Amino acid sequence: MRTGAAAGHRGYFHEAVCYASEEELLAVVVPFLLGGVAAGEPTVVSLGARNAALVRGALPAGCGVTFLPGGDVYARPTAAIRSYREMLAGHVADGARQIRIVGELPPVALGVTWDWWARYESAINHAYDEFPLWSMCAYDTRSTPASVLRDVARTHPRHATPDGRHVPSPGYTEPTTYLRENRPAPPDPLQSTPPVVELAEPTAAQARAAVHAAGGGRLPVDDAEDLVVAVSETVTNALRHGQPPVCLRLWVGPDRLVATVSDGGDGPKDPFAGLLPAGDGAEGGLGLWIAHQSCNHVSAHRGPGGYTLRLTAGNPHFVA
Amino acid sequence: MSGDGCPALPTDHVCWRHDDPAAFEAAARAFLTVGLAAGEELWFVTERDPAGAREWLAAVPGLADALRDGSARVVPLDGTYVDGRVADPAAQVRAYAEATEAALAAGHAGLRVVAEATGLVRTPRQRVAFTRYEHLIDGYMRAHPFSAMCVYDPRELGAAAVAELACLHPAGNVDDVLFRLYAAGRGRTGLAGELDRSARDLLATALERAAPRPVDGRVVFEAGRLRFADHRCLQLLGEYARGLGAVAVLRVLPGVGVARLVDLLGLPGIRVEAAR
Repeated sequence: MRTGAAAGHRGYFHEAVCYASEEELLAVVVPFLLGGVAAGEPTVVSLGARNAALVRGALPAGCGVTFLPGGDVYARPTAAIRSYREMLAGHVADGARQIRIVGELPPVALGVTWDWWARYESAINHAYDEFPLWSMCAYDTRSTPASVLRDVARTHPRHATPDGRHVPSPGYTEPTTYLRENRPAPPDPLQSTPPVVELAEPTAAQARAAVHAAGGGRLPVDDAEDLVVAVSETVTNALRHGQPPVCLRLWVGPDRLVATVSDGGDGPKDPFAGLLPAGDGAEGGLGLWIAHQSCNHVSAHRGPGGYTLRLTAGNPHFVA
Repeated sequence: MSGDGCPALPTDHVCWRHDDPAAFEAAARAFLTVGLAAGEELWFVTERDPAGAREWLAAVPGLADALRDGSARVVPLDGTYVDGRVADPAAQVRAYAEATEAALAAGHAGLRVVAEATGLVRTPRQRVAFTRYEHLIDGYMRAHPFSAMCVYDPRELGAAAVAELACLHPAGNVDDVLFRLYAAGRGRTGLAGELDRSARDLLATALERAAPRPVDGRVVFEAGRLRFADHRCLQLLGEYARGLGAVAVLRVLPGVGVARLVDLLGLPGIRVEAAR
């Protein structure tokens, strides 16, 4: 039996909490958490340090709420999905009838890499729907850009409000629609300079060699190798599933490597491609998922000229 | 990756794609000259007219004398490999082992062969047998003073057939074959180069032909010279080992992203260890 606002709901009950003060946040979150504990449901907090301390201070000591450390789960969307799915499956295997989670993205995720977190917020409506999960995603309206809040409204089916209501989001858009929309990320300033490498119709091996040559010594070796993996998979996909012309471009910045792989096609048809491993054995889907797991930012752009994937290793949080 | 600390790839088993006569002649002469300096017996195994082949050999500095005293000779292809031109891999290795022993008994330091073997691998059936032989003889070379340059003509065989052969040689000029599966000594299998989607089918074929066997439930691949492996090829290695009731152990250098990929995908049947 599920309890609280999600009672009677099947699958994922996904809410946003858009708050304008600490009091508003606590007004929503504290009863949500205590209700979960009282019902014997696994009850989890995955907030940044400041809000975690705030919530901890508002809860009775030793009340049974689990605090996940420091927002590490939100390093990359695909990693977050994987990590949460493992956790949820574990709770269900242990007999949980409902799991409650309140989480928030780190502030930096609301900047120039927001596009992939917007896709995350949409995709999890599907990715977590096999679990009896009730989660709240907290957004501080004082610091969150309006454009991000618009995406929040479109990706969360419901909003939890400080006065205790759980209201449907009028603008909610199904992920199969939302994820098919073009959602270009802001251009990296490096992209306004000539690329250090521009390869037409590269083989995957040539693309790997180019990344090795461009990235040598600039980033920690694991970061550079992860980009090699991501570029290799992306070029392989473009050659196999895309349309000519395939082109690899590379830019080198002081703290990052940026690669774009473009082809003349429309990009993957699966709206969840990249965020979820393709479960149907579709090979390209797994490669794109690996690319998302291997980079600190991946953005996709569909335009008249075709499909471009941009992959960033190192620090993706440039000043736009 | 530099491969620091890992053994270099063996140079005693060369696959030469013969699409440029001048380049071949230079490479073959260099290969034979190394053997001459080392005091090895030298064979030129070929379908060419014996007189012409002798004349070509005699033009190599130092080889005229060797031809005269019998330490260098032209051997007809038909006289070297087995009947029906479909190799019996084990018998062929025995034949070269005996020839190597004979060379040693005659006071040479070993046996070195340039073999123009195109005539033995024209059909798929021939190639199945011959590639099995290539890997077996590769293992023999790691432990004995026998070396060979195997010469194949892509104009007759096609690039795909040459690739089937080249990937089972640790050395050579077939640079567009991304990986090498070779004998790493002490019964172990080496994997070098890059394994991506374009190499997957060739890797499957190479595994089937080389047929590395598990020891104590582990099929160990010495992969200190492996620069890249994608999930498809890692899956394949795991499936191969699991088919033998074993686990594939890939010994790679740190910094190659293989361990992270195996962990990320939770690939069954494969384990990553540090190269030694």
